[in-house]
Formats: sequence, C-alpha cells, structure tokens
Amino acid sequence: MKAAAFDYIKVKSLGEAISLLKEHGEDARLIAGGQTLLATLNLRLSEPSILIDITAVSELKGISLQGNILRIGALATHTEIENSDLIAQHAPLLKEAAPHIAHRAIRNLGTWGGSLAYGDPAAEWPACSLALDAVMVIQGSSGQRKVSAKDFFIDLYTTTLKADEILVASEIPLASGNQVHSFQELARRHGDYAAVGLAAMIRKDKGKVQTCRLAFFSVAAIPTMASKAQAFIEGKPIDAELIQQAVNLAREEIETLADITNSQETKTYLLGVLLERALTKMLL
Amino acid sequence: MELSGEQLIASPVSKVWLGLNDVVILHASIPGCEEIERISEEEVRARVMFKIGPVRARFAGKLLLSDIVPDVSCSMAFEGTGGAAGFAKGKARVELIETEGGTLVRYSTEASIGGKLGQIGGRLINASAKKIADDFFLAFAKELGGNLIAVNVAILEDKKEE
Repeated sequence: MKAAAFDYIKVKSLGEAISLLKEHGEDARLIAGGQTLLATLNLRLSEPSILIDITAVSELKGISLQGNILRIGALATHTEIENSDLIAQHAPLLKEAAPHIAHRAIRNLGTWGGSLAYGDPAAEWPACSLALDAVMVIQGSSGQRKVSAKDFFIDLYTTTLKADEILVASEIPLASGNQVHSFQELARRHGDYAAVGLAAMIRKDKGKVQTCRLAFFSVAAIPTMASKAQAFIEGKPIDAELIQQAVNLAREEIETLADITNSQETKTYLLGVLLERALTKMLL
Repeated sequence: MELSGEQLIASPVSKVWLGLNDVVILHASIPGCEEIERISEEEVRARVMFKIGPVRARFAGKLLLSDIVPDVSCSMAFEGTGGAAGFAKGKARVELIETEGGTLVRYSTEASIGGKLGQIGGRLINASAKKIADDFFLAFAKELGGNLIAVNVAILEDKKEE
C-alpha cells in the first residue's frame, strides 16, 4: 500500500518546528528516522495531513560531554550510539543494548529521540534511559523543561510530551568507576520485538550494593522498574542468596501484561530468569 | 481478545444507568468519540477516532443493545470498520451492582480485531483495549460528578485472530 496524501515541510530550526506543531496540532507528525512512522503511513493506520521533517535541525544532533553529563541529541541514530566512543566510555549499557535494536538498516536511520518519544513498551532505549537515570530535555512553545525518565513514560505509547513539544536531547550522568551494568533481552529471533528485556545498572561500594536500577521492558504498558527488588538489594552485601530473593521479589511486584505470543505467566517467569542472569553477571 | 473488569463509581445506580444510556455523557466519555447518535432504544451509532501510539484510525460503527434490564444489566453487540485500517466486532455484557459508596460496574467484552490493525497492532491490542477502558471509566465517572474509586481490570485470554 501507499500512504495517503500529506504535506511535507523540512524545517531548519527548532522554533520553526514548534510553531508548525502549534499551528497544526493533532494533524501534524514529526518525522526523523521514520522507521515506525513510515510503515504506519504506508499501511494507512495513520493519516496525518502534514509531516514536519526535523532532520536538519542542528540543536537536535550529536553526542557530547557537557561537564559531568553525557548529552545524546534526539537525532542520534542507534548506529551512532553503537559506534560512539563517548557512549562506550560513559554509558556502556547503551553500547551493549544497541545491537538488540531491530536490524542494521533500521539502526542506521532510527533515532534515540524517536524511540523515546514513541514510547513502545517493548523498546530498548526507554528502559535504558530509566536504568541510567536519564533526564529528558523538552522544548515547547512555552519554553524548555526537564523531566526525569521515570516521570516521562506515562502509559502505553504515551509520554509526558505535549502536542507542541519536541524531545531535544537526553542527559545521562557519567558512569562512575564502581558502576557495572547488564543488558538482557529475549526475543524469538534476533531483531524481533523483545519477549522480555532488562536494562540494569549497579554501583558498588566496599562489597555492598550502593545503587541498583532494574528497568524491565516488554513486560507491561510502560518500561517498568522493579522498585522493591531494587530497594531490597541496595545496601546489602553481595551473595547468591541476595540474588535469589531479589528475583522472587521482582516476579511478585511486576504485574505483567500478556502479548500475542507470550502469556502473563511466561513473562513473569522470564523476567526472573533475566534478572538472575543480570545480577549474577554484575555481582558475582 | 477478552477484556473484563470492574469499576467502582461514586454515584448511585440509577445515575450510572442513565449515564450509560445518555449519548451526551457517552460522547464526552468515550476516548476519541466524534459523533454518537441514538437510532432507537436498541441501536446506537458512533464515529470514534482510535488513537494510540502510531495508530490514528477513524472507526464508524454501531452498537445493538439487548436483554435490557433497567438499573441492572444489558448486553451489547458491536461492530465497527476503520477503512483500510481494519475492523472490530464483538459483544459485551455490563452489570450494575449497588455497593457501599456507589455503583460497581462489572463488564466483560469479547472482541475480534481484523485487517491491518489486527496484523500490525496485534502485539499490543490487549494493552490498548485496557487503556481505552480505563480512560473511558475515568472520564465517565467525572461526567457523573463522582470519582473512580477502584480499578480492577483483567485481560483474560489472548486469542490470535487469523
């Protein structure tokens, strides 16, 4: 099938994009990598009257170090993140996660900001942004605001972004020397949507866990932190018993949603399997 | 797909029943409802903009009510088509139970979704249906001037559509 007719405007600045969004409201969609949007248009599952192409907006580009934070521009592609030395050094979890995102051709075009703003519960970046305590930088007609990742994802495919706002970049605290991470994903074939996934980060201090972040994806309507398991692990000395208890807690606290191929029970079981793998890798 | 749940609305049974039969209140409560019209006692027609994630499809459909017991329960059959996007049809049963603090609305729905929406959106149709039901009851309780007290929704089974 082919998409229905639409207007197309390639903007040169963020201001221009925001005023177009304000003018056209629900009828407008932003296009960056287009890896989800174009498929939906061609299947006529969505028929916006205007596409605003933001790929020439320089404020949205690049990966850079700014003091003690790593800034990832919304237009950074999955491949750029995968290949970036700054990412490898300061947010290695993202480097490990990137190869799990779809396939090379999609990673070459799909963007960091697109994945986050779209908020697919099975996507890798939303969970990673939670695990790394990322902060979303959002620009709208009433100015700029910052929202932490844990407040950004509200509901299925729904973020805190308003109709006239654009996700500009994410700011991620630099990985410290005592920080370890693990990225785990189960999918039927490589590149498929995850059956269950986990982005995890732990900071250790003198044989104990200081900070623990366990962000699961493809388990519920939004990426979900295992907050009870996290709180249980924090401050405790590291041993095998700790891992098993954390796995039990996570299975209890996360209310999984079935999808077309995996039941609730399967997802609950699998999330524990992934957590055990991740904690074993990070702690033992 | 099967979706069932219970919602406790802080309004008396008679008010909830009237609300569920009032097209003005339904118009304001159904997420994305653009047009709703009562053709007869048993038939309601509506046009709804289904908007979730990447999907924005306009569905036009009708709802046939049966086994109507005022203030107690009714059954309904519904079908809608969204042009190229696909179609949805199914049936639902709604029961109102008087409880302390308001009315317990108990519902169960069975629906099949076909066409492109079924093929592409199938991965998340359950989660989408739950979100739509939640949004509806939240808006509906607000329209009646009461609050939504408890939310309890279960998606029972996941049936694959051909």
